[in-house]
Amino acid sequence: MNLKTLNARHIWLISLHWSRHAVRSGAGLVYLMIALVFGLSVAHAVIMPVEQLMSVQKEQTGHTDREAIHNTIIAVGRPIAQFVLGLKSMTEVSEQAAAQEQPPNVGDPRMATPEAADPARFDPWTDFLLEDRPALLSAIFLILAFGMPFAISFLAFNQVTGDIQSHGLRYLLLRTERGNIYFGRFLGTAAFSTAVMAVIIVTITLYLGLRVRIYPAAALAGWAVHGFLALAILMLPYIAVCSILSASVDSPFLSLVLAKLTIGGVLLLAVLGGLKWESMRLIKYALPWGWQNHLLHPEPSHWLGAGLACLLYTGVFLMLGYARFETRDL
Amino acid sequence: MALAVSIKGLSKRFGHTQALNNVSFEVPSHSIFGLLGPNGAGKTTLFSLTANFLKADSGAVEVLGIDTRYISRLQGRLSILPQDAQFQRNVPILDQPVFFRRLAGRTRPQAQDEVLHTLDLVGLQSVARRRVGSLSHGMVKRLGVAQAFLGRPEVILLDEPTAGLDPANARQVRDLIRQLQERTTIMVSSHNLGEIQELCDHVAILDHGRLVLAGSVDAITRSNREHNLGLSRPLLDAELQRLLAIRGVRSIERTSLSAGKLNHDARSSEYLAKLDLSAEGIDQDTVIADLLKAILDMGITPRKLTEGHSLESQFLEVTGRPPTSASG
Repeated sequence: MNLKTLNARHIWLISLHWSRHAVRSGAGLVYLMIALVFGLSVAHAVIMPVEQLMSVQKEQTGHTDREAIHNTIIAVGRPIAQFVLGLKSMTEVSEQAAAQEQPPNVGDPRMATPEAADPARFDPWTDFLLEDRPALLSAIFLILAFGMPFAISFLAFNQVTGDIQSHGLRYLLLRTERGNIYFGRFLGTAAFSTAVMAVIIVTITLYLGLRVRIYPAAALAGWAVHGFLALAILMLPYIAVCSILSASVDSPFLSLVLAKLTIGGVLLLAVLGGLKWESMRLIKYALPWGWQNHLLHPEPSHWLGAGLACLLYTGVFLMLGYARFETRDL
Repeated sequence: MALAVSIKGLSKRFGHTQALNNVSFEVPSHSIFGLLGPNGAGKTTLFSLTANFLKADSGAVEVLGIDTRYISRLQGRLSILPQDAQFQRNVPILDQPVFFRRLAGRTRPQAQDEVLHTLDLVGLQSVARRRVGSLSHGMVKRLGVAQAFLGRPEVILLDEPTAGLDPANARQVRDLIRQLQERTTIMVSSHNLGEIQELCDHVAILDHGRLVLAGSVDAITRSNREHNLGLSRPLLDAELQRLLAIRGVRSIERTSLSAGKLNHDARSSEYLAKLDLSAEGIDQDTVIADLLKAILDMGITPRKLTEGHSLESQFLEVTGRPPTSASG
């Protein structure tokens, strides 16, 4: 394994060629459709109830009270966000929801504080996502961060495995280093993934800004840029995991199955295993599952740290895959 | 003798199959070197190891004095037509070789000019904008040949370059190979022994992963050089004995061409003359001249004299089977 032989021009050319031809026509089209359908369905599921609420309100009062809509979104979204962020268990979320429907318990010493009227005030992360930033966009980002790693394998599973199977790589191997092919195709895949993410987020943001109009344009645009960067970076380690698998097996189908099993299996093991053994929860750190929500954290140290963790995972996975690709029979 | 390729003790195993077993030979510079062997003999494996597609279990390959484990040092100097490697089907024909030339540092216009010229050599310029998926098998093969000829490689490996081509296109490819010989060393694998004999000056024969014979075609066939003779009438026994007495004539057998193969036939005036040129001071031209002179002296008119399949006989002798037998 010799990184000194890598050639930036070759990596760039391979990345462009891969994006233009291979990704666009094959796995790229499939991913584009899956990602758009998933991303826009999520947006639809999140935005539609709000639009219905606005419509009902307008019918009843003749106008839309954006403040009331905003408060309703926060009230509904808070327990869900807390659960998704891992700040509260499902039991705690249920109890909290029940407590909000009952009168305050004056015997509780916490009720003496200013946060007494809203017990969830103890959690600045949720506040940040729901109150300081456009809540609908935050909700969509959280769901995309959970779902897109499953979708990305449809794009990334076939970075080299198809050409290993068809021996198509042999036309390239005497013209450039194996490393240039490997990293070039990773970059092409990452660029395509980023472009698709941009399309999804721009579409959703424009819709929220032009049709729903409950958030200021500047707040929407700023949070959209942050969310886009977070999701784009989050995809990198998952693409890199697929790179390892793609470089390790000779069958594209097997590569896809293994990618699904790896990405989903880590999370499933952590969640189900964690119910029985607490230490099993740590398995989620084998992939960025344990860090990724911090990309949307209010503290710069958290989202920067999560971003760096994603890049670190990407680097480690890429090197593992490169070591395999460099030494195997092609 | 300058060497273009040097193969030393090369072995490769796939599971339980020993694909190559301690193979060593050398390919002289500016030669056209034929690699022969039945299916599964290890020809493609040897090419793949030479191009570093596969990693050898033991042994080494040097091309132009460079160990192919450091294959990047040979970029632009070594090219290959791999067997059964597929181009990207959805990509226009022109785009793929243009991409290859861009990797070699050419600008897009330069690359396009070079590629169109090379596609013209193999008769594909008119379909350059079509997608690879729309091409026939023969056209894809010619595209593979074209990409191997791109640039100015010093060594070209051609794995079955004429397989699947019609006779006219196969001839065109052979002519291209001959034209390149002045500046390039070419290794060709083929089942077509006639083609290899016509094209190559050196050969190696593999069988079951082992090298069974290597050397110049001239040296390998020297002890058994075959020529087909067509005469105006059959030879009498006495005449036959007189011809067999000529120095360098090993045997003369009466044959007839049937179903594309030479068979023994007592009524035929077609003969297969086998020459043995291995003795000191004997050369082919002298023996043939003596043979023809004797025939003319007998009042017989030679109507045909063509080179026979000396290499095929040698191949059969060392492998015990025809080149396309066996599978794997």
